[in-house]
Amino acid sequence: MTLGRIVFFILFAISIALFLGNLYRLFALLCLGRWENRFDRLAIRLKNMLVYAFGQLRVIRTKYGFNHFIIFWGFISMLALNSEFLIAGLFPDFSFEFLGSIPYGLLLFVTDIMSLIVIVAVAVAVIRRCFFRPAHIEFNLDAFAILSMIAILMIAYFGYHAGEIHLEETDYAAWMPISSLFAGGFASYTEEGASALTAFYWWIHAGVLLAFLNYLPYSKHLHVITAIPNCFFRRFDFPQTVPPVEFKMGNNFGNSKVTQFTWKDLLDFMSCTECGRCEAACPAHNTGKPLNPKEIVHIGKLNLFSNGRQILSKRPCDTLAGPPEDIELDTPLIGEGEKSVTVQALWDCTTCGACMQECPVFIEHVPKIVEMRRHLVMEKSEFPEELLSFFENSEQRFNPWGIAPTDRSKWTADLDVNIIEEGKPVEYLYFVGCSGAFDSRTREVVTAITKIFNAAGLSWGILGTEERCCGDSLRRLGNEYVFENIARDNIERFRRFGVTKIITHCPHGFSTLKNDYSQFGADFEVIHHSQMIDRLIQEGKIKLTKTIQDSTVIHDSCYLGRYNDIYEEPRNVVTAALGGEAPIEMKRSRQSSFCCGAGGGGMWVEESGDKRIYAERTKEAIATNASTIAVACPFCMTMFEDGVKEENKEQDVRVKDIAELVAEAME
Amino acid sequence: MADNKPDTPKKPKRPLGKVRYLEGKCIACGDACQAACPFDAIEMNDLGEPIIVLEKCTGCRKCIKVCPSQAIEVFYTPDEQKILDEYYRPVDKKKIAATKGISEWKGVWVFVEQVDGKAHTVSWELLGVGRKLAADLGVELAAFILGSKVQHLIEEAFGYGADKVYIIDDAILKDYRTPPYLHASVQLIKKYKPEIVLMGATGLGRDLAGAVATKLRTGLTADCTGLTISMDDRLLEQTRPAFGGNIMATILSETARPQMASVRPHVMPKPEFQTGKKGEIVTDTIEMLEETILTKILEIIPIEMDQTVDLPSARIIVSGGRGMMAPENFYLVKDLAKVLGGAVGCSRGAVDAGWMPQVHQVGQTGKTVKPKLYFACGISGAIQHLVGMQTSDYIIAVNKDKNAPIFDVAHLGIVGDVFEILPPLIEQLRANNPQLGQESAKAV
Repeated sequence: MTLGRIVFFILFAISIALFLGNLYRLFALLCLGRWENRFDRLAIRLKNMLVYAFGQLRVIRTKYGFNHFIIFWGFISMLALNSEFLIAGLFPDFSFEFLGSIPYGLLLFVTDIMSLIVIVAVAVAVIRRCFFRPAHIEFNLDAFAILSMIAILMIAYFGYHAGEIHLEETDYAAWMPISSLFAGGFASYTEEGASALTAFYWWIHAGVLLAFLNYLPYSKHLHVITAIPNCFFRRFDFPQTVPPVEFKMGNNFGNSKVTQFTWKDLLDFMSCTECGRCEAACPAHNTGKPLNPKEIVHIGKLNLFSNGRQILSKRPCDTLAGPPEDIELDTPLIGEGEKSVTVQALWDCTTCGACMQECPVFIEHVPKIVEMRRHLVMEKSEFPEELLSFFENSEQRFNPWGIAPTDRSKWTADLDVNIIEEGKPVEYLYFVGCSGAFDSRTREVVTAITKIFNAAGLSWGILGTEERCCGDSLRRLGNEYVFENIARDNIERFRRFGVTKIITHCPHGFSTLKNDYSQFGADFEVIHHSQMIDRLIQEGKIKLTKTIQDSTVIHDSCYLGRYNDIYEEPRNVVTAALGGEAPIEMKRSRQSSFCCGAGGGGMWVEESGDKRIYAERTKEAIATNASTIAVACPFCMTMFEDGVKEENKEQDVRVKDIAELVAEAME
Repeated sequence: MADNKPDTPKKPKRPLGKVRYLEGKCIACGDACQAACPFDAIEMNDLGEPIIVLEKCTGCRKCIKVCPSQAIEVFYTPDEQKILDEYYRPVDKKKIAATKGISEWKGVWVFVEQVDGKAHTVSWELLGVGRKLAADLGVELAAFILGSKVQHLIEEAFGYGADKVYIIDDAILKDYRTPPYLHASVQLIKKYKPEIVLMGATGLGRDLAGAVATKLRTGLTADCTGLTISMDDRLLEQTRPAFGGNIMATILSETARPQMASVRPHVMPKPEFQTGKKGEIVTDTIEMLEETILTKILEIIPIEMDQTVDLPSARIIVSGGRGMMAPENFYLVKDLAKVLGGAVGCSRGAVDAGWMPQVHQVGQTGKTVKPKLYFACGISGAIQHLVGMQTSDYIIAVNKDKNAPIFDVAHLGIVGDVFEILPPLIEQLRANNPQLGQESAKAV
């Protein structure tokens, strides 16, 4: 074996050197991104890593995820013996036997069994990819290469262990039932033959193991290295907002180059396995639009590798720093070509967050899309034509439609509504929002809420003509400058009127006031009307005397559910209005709810493609045979009403805000 | 491209002067002035009073601001004082006007915008308002025509009220490009000195008017909604909405000529055409070489657009919504548009349902329109639609639902079935105007 050992030593040294070199280069690529602090609360990060990377909690949410879980843990359990294997290749006497014969025997036993299970799991994966491949998994050779490598590793493992057992070179045959079974296959060989075959298997195992190590960084299986830290560095909560922009001379306003992302964004790009779960959940992709969240991340990776390698090749290899601001990169981040994100894809996003909810490794897609939109809007002034009036109206008249700001309190004309005066604060500010103030359909919702609040004897009021747009759509569409001005102005206004608690009926206003405004120093208690009404019902402040008999299906708004984890309160409210009967659930509900299409500025942009997101969702709601669709968002309301009309179901299906159902049940 | 330097010389810079110490006023506060001086131009004597080193002083006044006892002041050399006096001399606009020879500028001009020899109606509308201005001023009304093979427009210009036509007919002006049109306009205006120049606020007009005004160093009021003459001083009063339409601003151009204004199409009434009217024709030539123009027109790709889609400039729009029930029913909307001579619009619902192409869409994410008459058929009037049409002069709405929000903005609301109301209406309009014939968009 001396010659063999020299050959192995050379192979081993080359492989490890290449592997370490690759690791270093990946690290250097990460360092091209901007700094972002993700090193806080390390204990929680460690827990997240254990739960989501090692526990694979998000991976096993689908049934094939369990298959991945098995392969992952098979691998982990084999780490010890594979290290022993590699070390023993250099120093033949090395063995973990010093641990004691029973622990070592157990190690062999577990690995033996796991290897078989992994072979089965690999077979399942291959069969699924060949015969039952879902649309969101691409048919690519990369996956088969890795799967075959794993299978060969396992087979070779059994091979050389079986040989060892046959040649009686091991005292642990009893601990390796599967290998012992294979040992029978050596019966017909001569001793030399068996020895040679064992050596053959050994070399196969050694070769594939080292090849595997160096194939990883070049394939989508890079995630084996990056996904674990990505779970460690994940955001603690759902990415509810996007980082603010510092408006200063010399800064960039939005990202047009891959190096303008933070290192965590770049780690996100590297962590994608192209599992396609985001794609399967994406409303834009599901309605045939160019946007595919998986592609955005994948393109990010390709773009980083292409531009990053170019940057790295032009400087000393011990430099670990971001490139200069004004660097020109060969491959544009936004544009045409396979390493660039198309403009249309960026405008297709409704920021519904389904991708981020689905991603097993916590990739944050939406903030990246918003950063690129910011570049288009603020640096290039390049956006869908129809947004021009939206932007102008929002900036000049503080509502999306350009209606006179003095008309904002018109809806209160025949109602008992207190318009808050300076120096006379009330407990709750009801932030009516633009659609509540101007949209005739939402005015009915606002009227219902007025009735509920008044019946409950709540101390509440509105800002009337002093109220302004919350700026949600502006922010998601990338018009950060106008958004920031509006946000700061609103916060100042709220303070001037002595506001501490704010109720909204719009999840977009809710999330914006609650999550986005806190970046600018706001600390108001923000309450969604579903929470408030639920509380009023529970406290007995409002009495529901009637029961609504309609079969009612409930729709979860993205910015209420996924963004703010409010699922129970709207259901409680509807259940109360239905006299204790829980609403019908759609197949895609709660965390997996399907967007109505209006979020992220979708309300103000024409959808691309032939299919409409709202039509898709409305069909799903109508298919439950419900006669009422309960929503808790004015955007969803508009979208569902359009969808119902399109399906010609106006006579059979009505769309109601949860507050309207309660007001009905109060009569 | 021709040089774009303005034609007037630059004013000298306003002098800053230097500072001096006012003897006896210092209270020896310490070294406030010395510390404040960014140029080390202040030294201190034994009494703690400032000594100002004039060579270093730039007149930045930082020391004056920090001095607690106003012991430092600015002074100017006589030369500087002269420049300053010039700066602060009360502006006598009449005198400036006189020195600039403003009284030499006479007459009202209207730019005749044409594409492929076809004049834009805004030009004739401007001749209408120009007529009134010229009459008030007692001067001639002239049209100026630029283009290639555009002689036939002369007669048209006279017909719509021009007394005189200035024309440059040259191949270089065939298709609109800024440099030759700018050159030709400036050349004509400088040569014949009209006091007022009006242009249509179209894509072409906006481009040309801004360029001409910049080159001539004169004012331009864009998108005017009213043009009148102030009889006291013969100035053009240019009225336009300001601050998002909340106030109307009247703008005067007192010290520069010509007084330039642009007006959007359909704001001014088009005058009656008078056949056989004649006037004086002044033909000029352009001295510009094709080689000096960087912009070349390679190809003109027309947007495939029939008249029924030109929504922003349509005077009458008939729109259909989801209340039309099915795409095959849209012939009613199209027929009504046809008999009324209007364009066809629709709501987002009709587009989303695939009944009409998006170019017809009126509303937030479609076109914003302001026709004389907006006829909404089976449109409920969601806010997204209303914001695109609610400023129309007259709105007629037909809808089954009497609570539909469209009725909040409609001047005339008809609660009823479009399929009962539209056919007899179309029939009646056809009967009133037999030339229209019986042709229908209805699929046979």
